[in-house]
Amino acid sequence: MSNKNRVIVRIAGAAGDGIASTGEMLGKTCSRMGLHVLAYNSFQSAIRGGHVWLQMAIGPDQQNCHADQPELILLFNKTSPAVHVPDAKPGAIIFYNADTIKKEDIESIRSDVSFYGLSFKAMVDEAGLTGVAPIMINTMLSGALIQTIDLDVNIPLDIIKHRFTKKGQQVVDLNQAIFNLGANWVKGNVKSNFPKLVGSGNPKMFMTGNEALGLGLVAGGLKLYSAYPMSPATGILHYLATIAQKDKIVIKQVEDELAAMNMVVGAGTAGVRAATATASGGYCLMIEAVGLASMLETPAVCIVVSRGGPSTGVPTKQEQSDIDLAIAGNGDSPRFVLAPKTPEDCFYQAARALNMAEKYQIPVIVLSDFFLSEHFETIDNLDFSKVTIERGKFSTTWEGQGRYKRYEYTEDGVSHRVRPGAPGAMYVPCSDEHNEFGHVMSDVEAGLPHAREERIKMHAKRMRKMQTMIESGDVNPPTLEGETNAETTFMTWGSSHSFVQEAIDLLAAEGVKVNHLHFTDVYPIPREATLAQIKKCKRIISVEANMCNSMCKQLLAETAFEITEHINRWDGEPLTGEYIVREFKKLGSKKKELVNA
Amino acid sequence: MTTVTLDAKDFKSEVHPDWCPGCGDFGVLNCLQRALAELGILQHQVAVISGIGCSSNLPGFINTYGMHTLHGRSLPNAQGFKLAHNDMHVIAVGGDGDGYGIGVGHLVHALRRNIDMSYLVMNNSIYGLTTGQTSPTSGEGMKTKSTPFGNPEAPLNPLTLALGSGASFVARAFSGNPKQAIEIYKAAIQHKGFALVDTFSPCVTFNKVNTAQFYRDNTYDLNAEGHDPSNLMKAMEVASRDTYGDRIATGIFYQSQRPCYEESEKDTLSTPIVDHILGISPERAAELIANFK
Repeated sequence: MSNKNRVIVRIAGAAGDGIASTGEMLGKTCSRMGLHVLAYNSFQSAIRGGHVWLQMAIGPDQQNCHADQPELILLFNKTSPAVHVPDAKPGAIIFYNADTIKKEDIESIRSDVSFYGLSFKAMVDEAGLTGVAPIMINTMLSGALIQTIDLDVNIPLDIIKHRFTKKGQQVVDLNQAIFNLGANWVKGNVKSNFPKLVGSGNPKMFMTGNEALGLGLVAGGLKLYSAYPMSPATGILHYLATIAQKDKIVIKQVEDELAAMNMVVGAGTAGVRAATATASGGYCLMIEAVGLASMLETPAVCIVVSRGGPSTGVPTKQEQSDIDLAIAGNGDSPRFVLAPKTPEDCFYQAARALNMAEKYQIPVIVLSDFFLSEHFETIDNLDFSKVTIERGKFSTTWEGQGRYKRYEYTEDGVSHRVRPGAPGAMYVPCSDEHNEFGHVMSDVEAGLPHAREERIKMHAKRMRKMQTMIESGDVNPPTLEGETNAETTFMTWGSSHSFVQEAIDLLAAEGVKVNHLHFTDVYPIPREATLAQIKKCKRIISVEANMCNSMCKQLLAETAFEITEHINRWDGEPLTGEYIVREFKKLGSKKKELVNA
Repeated sequence: MTTVTLDAKDFKSEVHPDWCPGCGDFGVLNCLQRALAELGILQHQVAVISGIGCSSNLPGFINTYGMHTLHGRSLPNAQGFKLAHNDMHVIAVGGDGDGYGIGVGHLVHALRRNIDMSYLVMNNSIYGLTTGQTSPTSGEGMKTKSTPFGNPEAPLNPLTLALGSGASFVARAFSGNPKQAIEIYKAAIQHKGFALVDTFSPCVTFNKVNTAQFYRDNTYDLNAEGHDPSNLMKAMEVASRDTYGDRIATGIFYQSQRPCYEESEKDTLSTPIVDHILGISPERAAELIANFK
């Protein structure tokens, strides 16, 4: 992996300036060339008037981070210079819209970067183009950008063709001419020495974590998805809605999160694979129904995309502070919580969540976060053949002897599930404590000796599934990646994996060896196997995008092992490699004794 | 094909109802069992799905499939169940607290969504399982444990609420009039769309106002008086005039032929999605991948 052989691009302007479409064109151009791209979108919870920017890391190798300092910048509006010019890497090239940004307002800010003001109006007039709309400036600046890093301009020209074909050849020609205006201007006026980015030539997928989660659910046999819109989880609903009809999946936007989760439980009880997704606050409303799935032993999948909390919090910013929430419920309530690390991982983990839900007849919570769900990344082809569908102890008919026991006591805690509709097996799953048939034990019988005995047995049966999951190897301990004898280990979970990989590479370049302990499965934690991994580490520092060390608390609760050194970020921006390195250096080199290991 | 003749007792489960002797819910259970038997629907083709409350214990007492879910959440569970397995008859049941109090948000949207299922509300104008507090249909001034000086709030009118929410079937029954209730339940189950049946089901323990005698004395059958159930405005008028007071209408207030929700997803739901093969073909996978390039 090389951080040198890459270019960091930033595109900034007002919401509505076309930042997203400029980014999409650049991203798709790169991914079709077989380059790797990671794009981070910074925006506010406002439809118009907010200031938005997009930062992309582009290179021939896997990109783990959008980095701190951009070196090629495109600025659209008056707000942009003061916000973004200070961030630029020395020597950076900055293109700006000279129709909105005055030369003296921007070029006086720094002298160690190169500025190029382009007047869209003047250039279009000079070229004699007519029928031009002001928004088309983003096409011209795309041309400038793509030419500056010397990418294959035929690809964006083809993207333009596909985007505008419906509007007629004239529109295609005009947009291509505008693109070329920017590209040709750069050829004559801009001197750059960016590394030549050579792609593999094999086009890659370019998608968000939310899209990958949706696609993973589809690959895993999703049949019903109900949801209530809430950033940053809504992208899953949007993606699934576009493909639902063709793949015969029922997609329902419902009245609230209570309905969304309860509908999943109803559908799961009927026998289909069902899922929902929401953000942190929305999940608060779902918790009761997640407990219902635990009690009815109904498979259910809920994706929780974290944002800053508490309450409405910071809707469109990064935070990883919902492990406690995902585990929470009234009473002891069996479930499985996992956290994918990249968009590629989102695909496989979403499908795995559906399998785990059916195999153990439990709710499965998939923890994503704003960064993971909303950022774009290139992915080598997703392998659908790696996705298997395991339904566990399940049948559509009942041919057993005697009265069917939906909640039969078994050694592994999982009872055979007959799909409702099968003749002869009628049963009523019940949110009250119940016996093997599902009959309520908590009303007139509660407290009587046989009901107490039944309560102990049934509750233990349900909770036994947590142990079975671990013993069968379906729940994984953390991975330990990198140098075996590193002096320091960074501990992460979920999406922080990529940023820490970047930090480890940056530190390696300075001769500092750090390795990486990473959790994907966050509840339950296989205690012995986890402690065995921890014993291999000398000094563990947690890296989490939160204030209160969510994963450290979880690790302490499950294994009695305490991490005492932490790197945190909770200002809403994602961690970056540079940020982690800076914070690591602040911690100093003191090595703390490991406790309990 | 052999025809099975069913009897109400075929729908009796092995669990004996734990309702108070004389509870109106016995009547509702009997009428529902009779209605299903008379319609010739087999036990395994039905799912009775409830929330929480005295009346929500009903699914345990009927020999069909079902669910006993959370307080106020019978409708989203039942709608999810129905969309998943749309060749089964789904009947949601529960009380007025469950359906008109904590769950009223779901009711409004279930009505306008119009999924092909029925919803029987056992309305006793009191919270029974929690030992006697005011409910959304308790009358103004009614003294309960939570309103010892009289209920200061106006009662909700479930029927006008339903009619105003796009309902395609709205009816009211009284558990003390089984003949009419059975016919209404049968019509509700056969209706193509969401059918709401509000049923007066008196609480003998905690409500001394809305008693069986009160309803015997004050209800009339609006269909016997020639009411036209296809007339929405007339239904509105009767529902708002004859719900509280001493002349209370029962019967089918309104029924329309508005297409049910499933009609909008004909392609997906032409066979129940529980029967679909899971996952997608390699060809479709390639297509989905290509969309991202």
